[in-house]
Amino acid sequence: MKKLLSIIILAGSVSGFAGGFQLNVQSTRSLGMGGAYAGFGRGTESIFFNPGAMCNLKGHNFTLGGTLILPLVSLQTDAYDNINQTSPMGTPIHFYYGGQITDNLFLGLGINNQFGSSSSFEEDWQGRFIVQNISLKTFSYQPTIAYKIHDYISVGAGFVITTGKFAYEKAVPLTGTSTDEGKAALSGSGVTFGFNAGLFSTLIDNDKMKLTLGADYRSGQTINLENGVANFSDIPVSLQGTFPAETKFTGKLNLPSVITAGFAYEFKINEKNSITAVYDFNYTGWSSYDTLAFDFENADTPDSKTTKAWVNTPTHRFGIEYALNEMFYFRAGGYFDVTPIQDGFVSPELPDATQFVPTIGFGMQIGENFAFDLSWLHQDVTRTASLDDAGFTANYHRIADVISFSTTIKF
Amino acid sequence: MKNYLLILGIVVISSSCRKVEFEEVERTYGDADFSTYIAVGNSLTQGYQDGGVYEEGQKNSYPAIIAGQMELVFPDMNTWRQPTIYGNGSGYMHLEYINGEIEVISAGDVGGYTEDGSWSSWGTSEQGIKFNNLGISGITLMQCVALDDNEKTINNGILGGVSINIPFVIDTTIPGNPFARFMDFGGSPLLGQTPIQYIDHIKQSNATFFTSWLGDNDVLGYATSGGVTTAINLPFGLGDFEFNALSDPTKFRMKYDSVLTAFNSLGAQGVCATIPDVTVIPYFNTFTVESIMEDMSYTEVWITEGVGTGSIVRVATSADLILLTAADDIEAGMGGTEANPLTDGYVLDDVEVANVQSRTIQLNNEIKASAAMFNYPIVDMHGFLETLKPGVSFEE
Repeated sequence: MKKLLSIIILAGSVSGFAGGFQLNVQSTRSLGMGGAYAGFGRGTESIFFNPGAMCNLKGHNFTLGGTLILPLVSLQTDAYDNINQTSPMGTPIHFYYGGQITDNLFLGLGINNQFGSSSSFEEDWQGRFIVQNISLKTFSYQPTIAYKIHDYISVGAGFVITTGKFAYEKAVPLTGTSTDEGKAALSGSGVTFGFNAGLFSTLIDNDKMKLTLGADYRSGQTINLENGVANFSDIPVSLQGTFPAETKFTGKLNLPSVITAGFAYEFKINEKNSITAVYDFNYTGWSSYDTLAFDFENADTPDSKTTKAWVNTPTHRFGIEYALNEMFYFRAGGYFDVTPIQDGFVSPELPDATQFVPTIGFGMQIGENFAFDLSWLHQDVTRTASLDDAGFTANYHRIADVISFSTTIKF
Repeated sequence: MKNYLLILGIVVISSSCRKVEFEEVERTYGDADFSTYIAVGNSLTQGYQDGGVYEEGQKNSYPAIIAGQMELVFPDMNTWRQPTIYGNGSGYMHLEYINGEIEVISAGDVGGYTEDGSWSSWGTSEQGIKFNNLGISGITLMQCVALDDNEKTINNGILGGVSINIPFVIDTTIPGNPFARFMDFGGSPLLGQTPIQYIDHIKQSNATFFTSWLGDNDVLGYATSGGVTTAINLPFGLGDFEFNALSDPTKFRMKYDSVLTAFNSLGAQGVCATIPDVTVIPYFNTFTVESIMEDMSYTEVWITEGVGTGSIVRVATSADLILLTAADDIEAGMGGTEANPLTDGYVLDDVEVANVQSRTIQLNNEIKASAAMFNYPIVDMHGFLETLKPGVSFEE
C-alpha cells in the first residue's frame, strides 16, 4: 500500500525541463513550433499566451491537453562516474475554454501547471546534504476576458489564481552514535494571485497573406508558504533542541514575470494550403528568484537562506506550420533559451543550461468541430558548473523527451 | 490515439539518443601497490570513539575508509581485515536529552550502552589472523619497540599481560590492554617465555602500503592525567618506570626509525602522520576558567599546582586548562575557595600545557626526520587539527 501510494504521488509530480522551473508546455500546437504563440493566437491557448488573441475564436472552444516529460539526468563528479537522478516522469496538463459572447466580447478560462520541478536522488548519494528530493507544482486558474476594439486590434486580460505545493528533503550532516545521518523534510503550500494581459493586432489579412502581432505580460507571483511543516529525524540527541522532530516554517517562492512579443506571417499558397512562420521573444524575470529562505518557528533552529542569484533571461522561439488541405498540419521549430542560473549557483536538482531545443508537431482537423495535436521535443544538454556554497561541482548531462497531446472541441 | 502516444513514448525511451550516462573516468593507483594495506596507530586508528570500541566505530575507522577508497582503484587488493567487534563492543557512552538538559550516559549507567556479551573474550580466538588494522587504543610508540630486555618485559606486560602481579604493569587476570587482545604477544621473559613485540607483527605483516599514526599517547597520557606522573621502582630488577611521562625524544626517534625500517624492509610504501596538539581537544577546553566563574558565580577559580609537599595553591588564569573529568568536583564546589581548590590531576596548568606542546613539536620533528630518511611523506595532522579548533561552519 505504501509503495502504491508513493508511485501515485510520484506520477503526479512534474519535472521542469527548460527555463528554470517554468513549464513551457502550455499548448501542444505551440510546442510543435518552438513554443511560440503570442503573435500567432489562432486557438484557445491564447488564454495563456496572449489573452488579446482570444478574439480570433468563434463559437465555444474547449481544449484539453496533457504532456509527458521524461527526464534523464546524469551527474559526474570527482568521486563518481555517474550519479543518476531518480526523478519521476512529469505529467502537466492544460485546459482552456474560450467562447465568443458577443461580436466583440470574449470570455475564457484556463487551468494549467505553469511551474514545476521534481528531482530525486538515491538515498546515499554524494550531494544528499544539498538535496535528496525536491518538488514544486503549481496549478493556475485564469478567468479571462477579451475585447475586440476593431478588426485590427484586440485586448484581453485574465486574473490568475495560482496554488503551489512545495516539498524538500535532504540529509543533515549530523550523526549521533549510530551511522544514520540526520534528515530534514520541509513541505508547504500557498496561494497567490497575478494577472495576464495581452494585445493582439492583425495588420494584414488578404488572399495572399496574413500578418499578426502580439504582446503579452504575465505578472510575477509570490507564493507564501505560511504553514510549512519541517520535520527533522535521526538527529543526535544533543542537537534535538536545535533540530526538533517538528517545527513550523514560513517561506516565499517567487514565480517570475514573463514579457512576450511575437508575430506570425502566413503565406497562403492556395485556398487550402498555407505556410506560416512564427516567432516569439520572451523575457523572463527570473531575478525575482534571488534567494530561497525559510524561517523556522523554533527559535534555536538556524534560519535557512540559499542565494540563488538567478538573472533575467531572453528566450527566442520560432517555428513553421504547413497546412495541407486544411486538414493536416505539420510543424517544426525550436527555441534558444538562455539559462537564468549563473555559474557558481547550479544546484544538482535543476542543472539548467543555455541551449537550443528542436521541436516537431503534427495536427489534424476533423471537420469543423474536432482537432487533435501531437508534439515532441527532445532536449539534450550538458553543462559543467558548481554550487559554490556547497562546494559541489559536477558535469551534468540532461536529456528530456517531452510528448504533448491535446484535443480541441468546438461548438 | 492513446496507443499511438504509447508507441511513440516507447520508441523515444528505447532510442539511443536517451543515453545520458558519462563515460567512465579511468582511475589509477599510480605507482602504489595497495595489495596489503597495514594501518598502525592507536585509538584513532582502531576506531575508538565515545569512550569505547564498538562495531559502528570500528566500521568507520579511518583505515577502513582509506581501504575502501583504495579498493576502488585497486580491485585486486587482498581482503582487508579488522578484528571483528560486535554490537556495543567494550560499551560506550552517549548523550541523551532529558528534561531539556543534555545528559552524558556512561556505559555502566542505567540506560547505558553496556558492553557486548562477546567483549570479555574479544580477539583472543583471532590472534592467528593477520589483520590489516593494527591500531590499539592506548598504545604508545614506546610500547611498540623495546630498546632493551627490561623494556621488552614491561611492554609485554602492558600489552599482553602475564600471570605475575606487578602493580601497573602486569595484572593477574586480564591482559594489560584489553584493546590489544587480537594480537599474540607471546609469553613473558619473567616466566622464561619468548615475547612477541608489536614491531614483530609489523615485520610479519606483508605490508605493501602502510599508514603510521603512532605517537599520540606519548604525550596524551601526561596531558589527560593533568601532568601528574607516577614514578615507581619495578620489582624483578626491571628498573624505574614513570607512568604518564612524556616520551623521551631520543628514544622516540630510535623507535620510530625501527617501525619505518620494518616497513621499508618489506618494500612497503606509505605515509606517516604527525601528532596533533592534544591541548586543543574538547577534553581540555569544555570547561574554561571563565566558564566556571560564570556558571558557579565565582570571582576566581582556585587550583593546585603539583602534588604533595611541593604543591602550591593559586588562582587559575586562562592559560590553565581544566579537564573534562573535573565536572563532578566543580559541581561539588571545588575550586571556589583557596581552602578547597581543584586537585592537580584535574588541571593541566600553564607550565604543563607548554610541556605538552613543546614535546609534541619535538616528537613531530623526529617523526618528520625519520620519515625523510625513507622518503615517506608526512600527513600534517598537527596542522589539520589546528584548523578544527575554532570549529567548522557548514552552509545550511
